[in-house]
Amino acid sequence: MNVVTISLALLLATSQDSARRIAIDERLAADAGLRVGDRVSLSATPGDSGRIAIIGAILRRSADPAEIARGEYRVRLHLTELQSLLGYGDRVDRFAVGTTSAQAIGDAATRINSAAFGFHAHRSRDIAVQTSATFAVVSRFHRAIGVITIVASAIFLLCIMLLKVDERRRDVAALRLMGISGRTIVKGVVLEATAIAVFGSIVGVAFGALTSWIVNAYYQSVYRSPVRFSIVTGDVVLLAVSLSLVLGIAAGWLAARRLVRTPPLMLFGR
Amino acid sequence: MLLTLAAASLLRHRARTILAVLGVAVSAAMLLDMVMLSSGMRESFRSLLLSQGFQLRISPKGTMPFDTDATIRDGDSIVTILQGMNEVKSVSPVLGGQLHIPSASGTIASSALGIIPSVEGDYELVGGRQPSAPDEIVANDALLRAIGRSLNDTVHAGAGYDSQLRSLTGERVLRIVGRARFVYMASEQKGVALPIATLRAMQGHAVDKPVSLMMVRLAPDQDIEVMRARLERQFRKVNVISTAEALKQVDERLSYFRQLAAILGAVSLVVGFLLVTTLVTVSVNERIGEIAVMRAIGVRRWRVVAQIVTEASAMMLAASPLGLMLGLVTARYLNSILARFPGVPERIDFFLFQPRSAWTALGLLAVSGVLAAVYPSWRSASLPIATTLRQEAVG
Repeated sequence: MNVVTISLALLLATSQDSARRIAIDERLAADAGLRVGDRVSLSATPGDSGRIAIIGAILRRSADPAEIARGEYRVRLHLTELQSLLGYGDRVDRFAVGTTSAQAIGDAATRINSAAFGFHAHRSRDIAVQTSATFAVVSRFHRAIGVITIVASAIFLLCIMLLKVDERRRDVAALRLMGISGRTIVKGVVLEATAIAVFGSIVGVAFGALTSWIVNAYYQSVYRSPVRFSIVTGDVVLLAVSLSLVLGIAAGWLAARRLVRTPPLMLFGR
Repeated sequence: MLLTLAAASLLRHRARTILAVLGVAVSAAMLLDMVMLSSGMRESFRSLLLSQGFQLRISPKGTMPFDTDATIRDGDSIVTILQGMNEVKSVSPVLGGQLHIPSASGTIASSALGIIPSVEGDYELVGGRQPSAPDEIVANDALLRAIGRSLNDTVHAGAGYDSQLRSLTGERVLRIVGRARFVYMASEQKGVALPIATLRAMQGHAVDKPVSLMMVRLAPDQDIEVMRARLERQFRKVNVISTAEALKQVDERLSYFRQLAAILGAVSLVVGFLLVTTLVTVSVNERIGEIAVMRAIGVRRWRVVAQIVTEASAMMLAASPLGLMLGLVTARYLNSILARFPGVPERIDFFLFQPRSAWTALGLLAVSGVLAAVYPSWRSASLPIATTLRQEAVG
């Protein structure tokens, strides 16, 4: 879609009924100090005298991620008015076509494209895929960062569990000497690791939800957009908790096995 | 002696030390990546903007270059005034548009730049020559591949469509005389450059002579900001953008990545710090009796502290080369992901390696390693010797 620039200047004179009404977005209204009923001058070229229009509405910005980084202002006006302002004649950038049913979309696109010259019919779904390419890249980037974070967490967790179990070498040695089997000791340690992992997961989910809330509050105010930048979904929680449990239990099991394989007297330092 | 004791202590728990080094290496890699990300984009964009030697860019008021379809009407008059200034070495006007080229597989649309070949700064020739006649063009490989043409071939092209007459508007026969690599275009973007007068004529703008962008190369020793302010005062209908201003805009648009880099870099540092602190604390607690004995036989407190700090620093230093290598590999992978951003110039690197980045990451790691060891070591060295010895002997 082409983007056009419209110069907009606030006029202080009283309103005229003949002037056309336009709608502006709330960011422009806030930055330019405009209110409903104000008169503005619209021109396609900076510095031109332009045409008078009255602000008829102030629109809330949509939660469109594509608009985030651009920081553009939006002005909506009647198609004929814009065509005339820009000297476009009857040119348009795009048509939106509604079909009678979902099944008719393909047929309609094929028929339009067979007759078209200089334009092409696309399914809305295809356009959505194309325009969300930026976010697909960001998503892939986040996934890659996530994998690195998981590797770092796994090593950290293994280290901590190793230390935690290592701290109990004397207790384990005593238990072994009393006749408690290595399997029972491993079970006990794994149970303990599970409890720690479960508790850690609960704290982690709560911390993640809080962080997500802070991220949304911060970025929504920075970009002045209702877009939700971070969403804690059931899938995400399930993945995080599963990973945490698996890693925690595996780390506990590995550390416990290593300990029970060491002779009890050696654990006592003898 | 100090190093021997530190090494012996680290080697006593090999598995633990290896895991700690691995953990710190991953943190170091992440830290390096984030330092590279935070400075790389800016540096990469700066060198891209300065690569052609133009310090100022002039675009329609309220827009950044090629952000919109807006143009500066009668841009040639501004070009003429600029060329008459002693402070200005050269001016390169550019008009943006599209060319539509019919081919066997349908009509191919390509970005088109109207330029003055002798002063252009939008592409580098990789084959052939600059256009010297109105009907000569240079094209990039993406376009040549798409239309199946090569140097010295001719193409039919139009600047638009007339849907009612079912024909191209401004149709011309153009000769491809050069292969070009466009500096500001994305990797797969099809691009063509032709004399600005030709593109204007094809678009039907031969009279109003629009310009999308002017790039200005200043004479040596000119103050860029002073000239920027002067030109903006002189030409009210344009934005005059210096490299510094353009970088500020880039910073704003890509602030997300800088903030992400700052947050993840800080998290990596904290994870590395916590890992080393935990290990050093546990290691010190295990050797509390040993430390008390050392103190009892006359080893000074600072020496005990120094030994433990050396252990922590050694772990950090051992992890650094591994972290550096891991960081470079992951940076390359992450860069390959972000390079697929639609519309990002091919030459932009999100993760740009600079020696300063490596030194910054290494410095931060070293400081966090020392800080991680200072408190537990000082605490252990400050314990009452007699009580500790008694507790360790009895307990």
